Amino acid sequence: MIDALLHAIPLVFAPMNILAMFIGLIAGLVVGCLPGLTVVTGLAVLIPLTFGLDPLFALGMMAGMYNGGSYGGAIPAILMRVPGTPASVATVLDGYKMTQQGKAAYALQVALLSGVIGSVLSSISLILLSPPLVSFSLLFGPIEYFWLGILGLATVSSLLGDDLPKGLIACGIGLLIGAVGQDISNGTERFTFGQLDLLDGFSAIVLLTGLFAVPPVLQIVEEAVKTGMSGDKLKLHRQGSALSQWRFFTPVWIRSSIIGIIIGILPGAGGSMSSFLAYNEAKRVARNPETFGHGNPEGVAASECGNGADNAASLIPALALGIPGSGVAAVILGGLLVHGLRPGPQLFREHPDIVYGFMLQFLATSFMLALVGGLAATRIFGQVLRLPRIVLAPVILLFVTIGVYSVNNSLFDLWVLLGVGLIGYVLERLDYPSAPIVLGLLLGPMIESQLRLALTISGGNTSALVSTPIAVILALLSAAILLTPAWRLFRQRRTAAA
Amino acid sequence: MIKRLSITAALASVLLMTGAARAEYPEKPIEMIVAFAPGGGTDVAARSIARYMEKYLGGNARIGVINKPGAGGEIGWTAVAQGKPDGYTIGFINAPAINALVVEGKTKFKMGDLQPIANLVYDPGVLVVPKSSSYGSLKDLIDAAKKASTPLVIGTSGASGSSEHIALLNFQRLADTKFTPAFFGGTAPVRQAVLGGHVPAATMNLSEALQIAREGNIKVIGVMSAERSAYLPDAPTFREAGYDVVVGASRGIAAPKGVPADVVAKLEKAIDQALKDPEYLDAAKKAEIPLQYLASNDFKAFLDRATTDLEATWKATPWK
Repeated sequence: MIDALLHAIPLVFAPMNILAMFIGLIAGLVVGCLPGLTVVTGLAVLIPLTFGLDPLFALGMMAGMYNGGSYGGAIPAILMRVPGTPASVATVLDGYKMTQQGKAAYALQVALLSGVIGSVLSSISLILLSPPLVSFSLLFGPIEYFWLGILGLATVSSLLGDDLPKGLIACGIGLLIGAVGQDISNGTERFTFGQLDLLDGFSAIVLLTGLFAVPPVLQIVEEAVKTGMSGDKLKLHRQGSALSQWRFFTPVWIRSSIIGIIIGILPGAGGSMSSFLAYNEAKRVARNPETFGHGNPEGVAASECGNGADNAASLIPALALGIPGSGVAAVILGGLLVHGLRPGPQLFREHPDIVYGFMLQFLATSFMLALVGGLAATRIFGQVLRLPRIVLAPVILLFVTIGVYSVNNSLFDLWVLLGVGLIGYVLERLDYPSAPIVLGLLLGPMIESQLRLALTISGGNTSALVSTPIAVILALLSAAILLTPAWRLFRQRRTAAA
Repeated sequence: MIKRLSITAALASVLLMTGAARAEYPEKPIEMIVAFAPGGGTDVAARSIARYMEKYLGGNARIGVINKPGAGGEIGWTAVAQGKPDGYTIGFINAPAINALVVEGKTKFKMGDLQPIANLVYDPGVLVVPKSSSYGSLKDLIDAAKKASTPLVIGTSGASGSSEHIALLNFQRLADTKFTPAFFGGTAPVRQAVLGGHVPAATMNLSEALQIAREGNIKVIGVMSAERSAYLPDAPTFREAGYDVVVGASRGIAAPKGVPADVVAKLEKAIDQALKDPEYLDAAKKAEIPLQYLASNDFKAFLDRATTDLEATWKATPWK
């Protein structure tokens, strides 16, 4: 590992790759900053454009975009009460209050520094914890992968949305979409309607793009806000330094980072979960919890640090096991495949310099973010909010269309994009969460194929499914996660009755 | 009126262009269709050979690689077969996968709709077992399979109807036993399954097994080629063990039927020269790509034989 790291250092800091990280970072700040655009959207648009580029150049852009985007989301959250990304929802609570109190610049600074600390710690854990996970992952055969898929699915259905039935329905929609295509074991075609284009099922990247990029665009058009924010509310000059108050923030940073990393490693959780949990924890241990929600900088720090710590950690299961831990990780997995890099243990064996290079790029872009964000971005990117959003909509749509067409050079995919985008918009308006759909369509085929492989290998003996310790542990964890909401409901009812 | 004029103009320009093409091929960029996603084995092969073909086609020949993935290659291959036979649409075809699809009878094209130009790569199939396996040879494996109460499971990187699956069908017929194929649908998962000892045996292509076999993490107990491979000379062939199983994945270039003979000759020559280019050869050797050049006629004979063999297998044991 040390060898691979040393090997990767000169590659990561080659001038072209530094440029790539910088471009990605700036692009990430932009997509994060613009409400409606998420890092997933940015990556989905970016990946097709990286075809034919050097893998580390492409991956550097992705790492930069991931880290930049997670801070970018805090900017409109603090300035406008509009979370730029789902993960910055918890930042709104105290951040916008601080802006109203005239402390916008200070709030932005706290958010930046906290996010950077979280993502540095997360990158270090990605570098240190991935290798043991990789040797561990060879213990994973079809049986264990089957249960892992179940666990991922269980996590998302119980964690997402206040409305459990809607979360489950969304997940079911995902599973159904995932079932389309030819069965590889016997050649049967499912829901293909004789369409050659559907024989391999829907292209995951096309679906993801449709689901995440189109609904926000339609929403922008619908709202048709023609003017941006007036400039006099943007007070972006220095107001105190968060860096000099490191003693004050350190406990919050440590707790939030640990929460973010743990949530990040668990497939199916994700950034918004981390920031909410970190916020809750900070509020729980605070001596003055009543000040939270009224402009307490610790609230901003906890939310952004948890969010930043989630980033690199969510790639551990993605890189080591090939299991996307979040929507972003799923798109990054797609980006790796484009470059012929198949995630899983063999990735570390076959391309150690690229894997460790990618991890170092995460660390490097975290520091770069501190520099870029601290020096200029906070002031400059604030201005983006002045853009009439109605101008943004067609531009976003244009980029998405070009990106999706270039995935398979297929017109069929554009119709899929349009259709899925419209469906995604309707679902969003009906308050169906879109993340369970993604997990369903990504994990469904995995669960099915691994179950069939496991049963083929065991000769149809179903008791083989719980024949290894890992399988039993994963099965119990899945059951526990599925039953947690029921347990909570039960307790609530009892307290209400008493 | 304006419409009719523009159509006439368009027709005229097409005529002019074909005239020019005849005179000095290639006059415009050539589209090279790859039926698999960017970054895959065939895509990389196409992108690398395209650069050297441009060099030997001369002039300012340009080749653009267009990925049309999907349906196990059928979408891209249909696009090649139905392309305009002017030499500006060529594409990579992968035997015997393409032959198998045609034999199944559901494709919109026949093998005769393609004009083979040249074959570039031939990657034989191999049968591998985990390093801790008690099977040291094909004989051990067959003995065990005959004694076992349930058929022995063999993982394959392909899907139902892939060349590896068909090779297994042939092998069990020749060995008079029965195996249960487990379809992993990709090389990476099946490799991980063999490495972790989750399947007793697996098939894949030689180039995909080379690295881990040399590290000693898996054992190659049979190579499906006529002779031993120079890349792995210690590994015995199926023929040595007495089973005539010769199956491999090939990658070659074809054009739509009806391409002028001089264009075929020009492309064929450019591929031959490109494959002999020292720079290309060096890179191919480093990447251990099993190159095998077949000129247009030999490639056609090779494809015809693959189709005939598969038709016989399909009649005896339809794989779908």
